Amino acid sequence: MLKNLANTARFCWALLRTSLKAVTALRGSFLLSMTFMALNNATFFVFWWVLLGRVGTLRGWYMADVQLLFGISAAGFGLMQATLGGAVHLSTLIDEGGLDPLLCQPKPTLLYALGCRSQASAFGDLFSGVGFMLLSGYLSWHSAARALLCVLVSFLAYTAICISFFSLAFGAKKTHSLSRQLLDILITFSLYPEPLFGGPLRLVLFTLLPAGFVSYLPARVVKSASTSDLLCLMAGTAFYLWLAVRIFQAGLRRYASGSRFGVFG
Amino acid sequence: MNTALAIELSGLCKSFRVRRARAVTRLSSVKDFISPISEHVIAVDHVSFAIQPGERVAFIGPNGAGKSTTLKVLSGILHPDAGTAQVLGLTPWRERQKLGFHIGTVFGQRSQLWYHLPARDTFELLGHVYELSPARLRERLKALTEAFELGPLLDKPVSQLSLGERMRAEVAASLLHRPRILFLDEPTIGLDVSAKATIRTLLERQSEQDGATLLLTSHDTGDMERVCQRVIVIHTGRVVWDGSIAELRRGYLGKKRVRLLSERPALSFALPGVRLVAEAAYRCELEVSVEVTPVGRVIAAALEQGALHDLTIEDPPLDEIIQAFYRKTSYRTVDPVPVPTPIRVAQ
Amino acid sequence: MSTYRKYWAFARVAASEAANQRAELYGRALFFAVILGVFAALWRAVAEAGMPLRAEQEKLVWYLAATEWILLSTPQRHMQIQDEVRRGDVAYQLPRPVSYPRAALAQCLGALLVRAPLLGVVAFVSAFAFTGRMPALQSLLWLVPFGMLASAILAELYVALGLLSFWLTDATPLYWVTGKLLFILGGLMLPLELYPRWLQRVALCTPFPSLLAGPGGFLINGAEQAAPLLALRLLFWACFSFGLVELLFWRATRSLQVSGG
Repeated sequence: MLKNLANTARFCWALLRTSLKAVTALRGSFLLSMTFMALNNATFFVFWWVLLGRVGTLRGWYMADVQLLFGISAAGFGLMQATLGGAVHLSTLIDEGGLDPLLCQPKPTLLYALGCRSQASAFGDLFSGVGFMLLSGYLSWHSAARALLCVLVSFLAYTAICISFFSLAFGAKKTHSLSRQLLDILITFSLYPEPLFGGPLRLVLFTLLPAGFVSYLPARVVKSASTSDLLCLMAGTAFYLWLAVRIFQAGLRRYASGSRFGVFG
Repeated sequence: MNTALAIELSGLCKSFRVRRARAVTRLSSVKDFISPISEHVIAVDHVSFAIQPGERVAFIGPNGAGKSTTLKVLSGILHPDAGTAQVLGLTPWRERQKLGFHIGTVFGQRSQLWYHLPARDTFELLGHVYELSPARLRERLKALTEAFELGPLLDKPVSQLSLGERMRAEVAASLLHRPRILFLDEPTIGLDVSAKATIRTLLERQSEQDGATLLLTSHDTGDMERVCQRVIVIHTGRVVWDGSIAELRRGYLGKKRVRLLSERPALSFALPGVRLVAEAAYRCELEVSVEVTPVGRVIAAALEQGALHDLTIEDPPLDEIIQAFYRKTSYRTVDPVPVPTPIRVAQ
Repeated sequence: MSTYRKYWAFARVAASEAANQRAELYGRALFFAVILGVFAALWRAVAEAGMPLRAEQEKLVWYLAATEWILLSTPQRHMQIQDEVRRGDVAYQLPRPVSYPRAALAQCLGALLVRAPLLGVVAFVSAFAFTGRMPALQSLLWLVPFGMLASAILAELYVALGLLSFWLTDATPLYWVTGKLLFILGGLMLPLELYPRWLQRVALCTPFPSLLAGPGGFLINGAEQAAPLLALRLLFWACFSFGLVELLFWRATRSLQVSGG
């Protein structure tokens, strides 16, 4: 068992190295995508700069809080797309039979499918995310470890969410744009201050559409160093990850049974 | 089940549920959404065959015959509905990862090479996939680079390789871990004549060298003739022929192609079962149904009209034989040369 | 006349295709409703903090409904054009007796005719659900033709972006930044009055305020006074975008190289 784990770890590392090499192979395109995505995020922030410049605070949230929230969400998403960029392409892989060659190889299919791509724009998200976190002023030597942990947990939460959403393709064809819209909706919620949403919607944001685990809870942990929030964050993310893997495996069984759609030849 | 066999299928069945759209009317799309109609399509219908280690077998059939489905079951991608299959003594869909170390796959329309990277990077990654030690990987890479003449190509991005070069790298990648069985789905699709010939030679040579079993699907009869010794024909999910290619030619169509170069500008044949296929000054090509008129009589008839400068007798192109299967014409009941699982040819 | 029939045929095919992509349409509609919900909550919070505008929060939600309706209805043809340029398919379309960019625009207009009504209904229903109020009917009626024209001009600008892929390997990053500039300078989420004066001046030099803030502003300040000037501005930007696309395509075909083999 240990030997298997070691082999899998070596494979994951080799896969990551190869996907990073592939994404940086076209240097000009990589740098352009990275820079423009960072610029894209900075431009979006003009909205908050204008609004909070006028009203000062929104239900107790100041510019620094919004910067931290945005930074964690962007950094987590960027890290996910940079290392496990295959997650948002799962539905295309499933639709086009791209899982077949992976199924014939003796390595875990999900890991292989997730790690077989890296997005250049993700690095723009990652660096701008870190930049916003630094700008917020909440980062210090004392909170650096906590902040890093929160970004890692946000990354895992995003991974789990993408696996779940894009595994819809196991159930029906051409679900990519629907899955993408669901992800965009989640990202939208994750970028706006938590106090804006109350009641049943807050429940949804910590369950069906877990934006709470990609940005709200991590931001709370960085700001307040609350142990209970940290434990809740880690437990919740672990649960979603477990659920996502189960969803994928169930989908794969369906794929293997051929009852997804009539593909025969 | 006989564990000495490379592949053994018995009564394999696989069907799919396929959605069918209603005939287009004003409300048909709404009805399709609320209450979709689905059909049950049988893709593989009680398929049985066995393949010995080291055999090279062509698995052919028209589009929708069940070839790819069978291949997917054998490689562990799909679960069958019924029947059994053993590949190297393992049940593919239950022991997929274990089997993965011993099989290689080439999907003609899907690449396993990373597009923007040199092929060398894919090989290194595959070394980790198949858990090859660095020394072993180096040794295999050296051997395959020599055999496939990949030297100048290894460090070029795959996006800059021609289709033929890419296919060579693709096949080499599938052989990196020295698989005992190689599944090839349309490996020469889209390649020019010269590139096809190269791939076929390489496959044949590697199979003989490593003793690998090949199971190849293709619409190109050249792939069958030049690489494989045996052909299994599948049609509407059922095996309709299983035998050697020579037997297929001899036994199935019962025709010969006779090309004559004579001293006379034109020859005439009023023999039954003889059809003029092509004609030019002093030359003609005939198709002779040997059951109706023996070839000897045709030649005798030609000699009666004048001396022959040249004479060629050939089997008809394999394309025609396969098309006849697909059209279900010119059927003859014939027992092929006994193979591990003799199959009666359908009438 | 037969020329227009040709482009009408392109438009019809694109409309049919857009109608078949139901999952995508429903996804967009859902996203639209969510955005309006988020902003309804945002403007309530802003109102608690003290409205920075002489406008009620409900009108600002309707404003966003209008601007998002224009934005989400616009087909984004630039990706398809980029793919066709990269693959070299565009070269095979050049000998055809039809203008490539005009056919692209016709296809955008066809898709727009399918998307705009559906998303318009979503905009109306969602905005009403989140605010409990309706703007003046007259303003809504003025919004429809101006919004459709703005969407058509925006579609043509996307075609121009797509044509840039004749020179750039990947025009997608440029699209991201253009999109964000459209949000900010077009006043997608915030009316331009909230911006610093210098930013308002910068915005007015671009087509973006005319495409989004202009039509959206009908639901805050009414349409009668603003409509004539906005019509002139839209006409100007329509000619500009059409001319830009023709110029880009002319330059592109002069230097077109198709890699074969």
